[in-house]
Amino acid sequence: MIRMLATRIASSFLSIVILVTLVFFMAHLTPGGPAYSILGMKATAASVANLNAKLGLDVPIWKQYLLWWAHLFEGKLGYSYLLSRPVGQLLWQYEINTFVFYTVSIVVSTALSILLGLIQGVYFGRWPAKLIGGLQLGFYALPPFFVAAMLVLWFSVGLHWLPASGITDLRALHPGIGTYAAHLVLPVATVTVLTVAALSRYFGEAVHEELGKDYVRTAQAKGVTFQKILFGHVIRNALRPLVTILGLSFPYIFTGGVIVESVFNYPGLGWLMWRSALSQDYPILIAIVLVIGVLTVLGNLLADVVNGLLDPRARYE
Amino acid sequence: MSSAVQTAPGFAAAPLAKFIGWLTPRGTLGAGVTIGVLILFIGFAAPFLYPADPYAIHPAHALQPPSGAFPLGTDELGRDELALVLSGGLATLIVSLPAAILAFFVGVAYGLASGLGPAWLDKILMRLLDAILALPSLIILIFFASLVSLNNTSLILLLGFISWPSLARLVRNETLAQRGRDFILATEQLGASKFYIARVHLLRVMAPILVVNGTFMVGDAIFALSALSFLGLGVQPPQVSWGSLLEDGLDIIALNPWWLIMPSGLLVFGSLLAASLTGQGLLQKFGGTR
Repeated sequence: MIRMLATRIASSFLSIVILVTLVFFMAHLTPGGPAYSILGMKATAASVANLNAKLGLDVPIWKQYLLWWAHLFEGKLGYSYLLSRPVGQLLWQYEINTFVFYTVSIVVSTALSILLGLIQGVYFGRWPAKLIGGLQLGFYALPPFFVAAMLVLWFSVGLHWLPASGITDLRALHPGIGTYAAHLVLPVATVTVLTVAALSRYFGEAVHEELGKDYVRTAQAKGVTFQKILFGHVIRNALRPLVTILGLSFPYIFTGGVIVESVFNYPGLGWLMWRSALSQDYPILIAIVLVIGVLTVLGNLLADVVNGLLDPRARYE
Repeated sequence: MSSAVQTAPGFAAAPLAKFIGWLTPRGTLGAGVTIGVLILFIGFAAPFLYPADPYAIHPAHALQPPSGAFPLGTDELGRDELALVLSGGLATLIVSLPAAILAFFVGVAYGLASGLGPAWLDKILMRLLDAILALPSLIILIFFASLVSLNNTSLILLLGFISWPSLARLVRNETLAQRGRDFILATEQLGASKFYIARVHLLRVMAPILVVNGTFMVGDAIFALSALSFLGLGVQPPQVSWGSLLEDGLDIIALNPWWLIMPSGLLVFGSLLAASLTGQGLLQKFGGTR
């Protein structure tokens, strides 16, 4: 298993290095360059040269590229053009909000998916499973911005139950944890609606498949109760595909996150990426690409490790 | 997900009558095609049936709910929302459909080159593909959309050149799987070039996979463009699109403008549903499970 993980990590990090390189050169080879996007298109040549010198953009591009890696190994990710703050510090501040948001979302949507998938697997071919199957097909196609907008329209504007936006910073908790939790309900609900469709479908199919296997029949033949088979064996075995999908969907939850965070003005990494893209703040964008790449690798690795713990056979694949 | 698709020989020769016979029974495919045709009609034909100017401003009627004069109400500038939705539909479709077609051809060509080419080429191409697939495509799209000046051409190129990797991998794997089969080996021994093999044999064997994935890619392109437009990085004002209309409604959501959010949201949902149902339905027809 160690050997498998080591090769996996090595090849993943090579991918990330290639990706960051592509992104870096693309960002720095654009016509005009970042100086014009900060100063505006009417900037004088002198002020542009001045700013380029200040931002370190006047040295050859390959030198900038090598410097970027050198700084990375010192733990520095550069300075934001527009916010004039170290990128690492900015990312850290937003990362905490994103982490809380996604942890809660993943726990809620996994729990709901297991429940729905279990019903779907056990009642396969009968109306409860068919109902859930139909809902999954519909929910799978829902675009995140539409879900978010409808939830705000119903629960925030219509019923006044929940706030739509307005969290500033997790560490500025002066309004209290209750306010923060209330602000999290709608974003988490949006992500849950978007992810449960696919997750519960995978789990439901896995449960159905497991229930048809020989060991279930053997257990039934020797008189083990259905509940015991289901909760003792089937769920554990059916969790494997769910864990894999969860690991793979890690970055995709983040994608949904960009849109969800922009709708609710939730100050997470997705929101930061969106604002930086609108204002062409490349140091932040490159750093976020790096962070998401690393998170993707970690998500996949985590899924492999958990699967190895659930099923010894998976350790050697 | 689609690697489980079995090949359906004779698909290319299916006559039109048989094709229509497929659609008639109520089911996934029928529902998908019906919604899809409806969306295409709204995008391409309806602007001619409802010729109101989407940019005409009626200040006296700003932000009104649906009425006889304005079937879908008006936005906060007093523009006719129905005309805006129709114009936004055309703007969405004329970018996302060519983008999906471009991505389809890039993906097929890349996959064939990787699968049929020499081993070193395959290694380089697959390594590049892994790097691009290391991030969700929307993240890469947001990044590149911030670099270029956005217009219809650049958006088509952007969406087209970012959305092909999963199809490319599928085509490459399928090519490698088919390459060892006897009839391909025999054709090679008879002196057929790689282009001949790709054109005459591989593409025909892969037709069901390509059709199913092409359908999914149309949905993906519509989603990606709407998401970009929603974030302000897609279709640029003054031209509206479904994504930007939704964002406009969301900007003033405290005023409860449900008539500005529902139509464009439902249309994007309908497009995605149509692509997903059609793809699923085709998969069932071709005998795959998923």
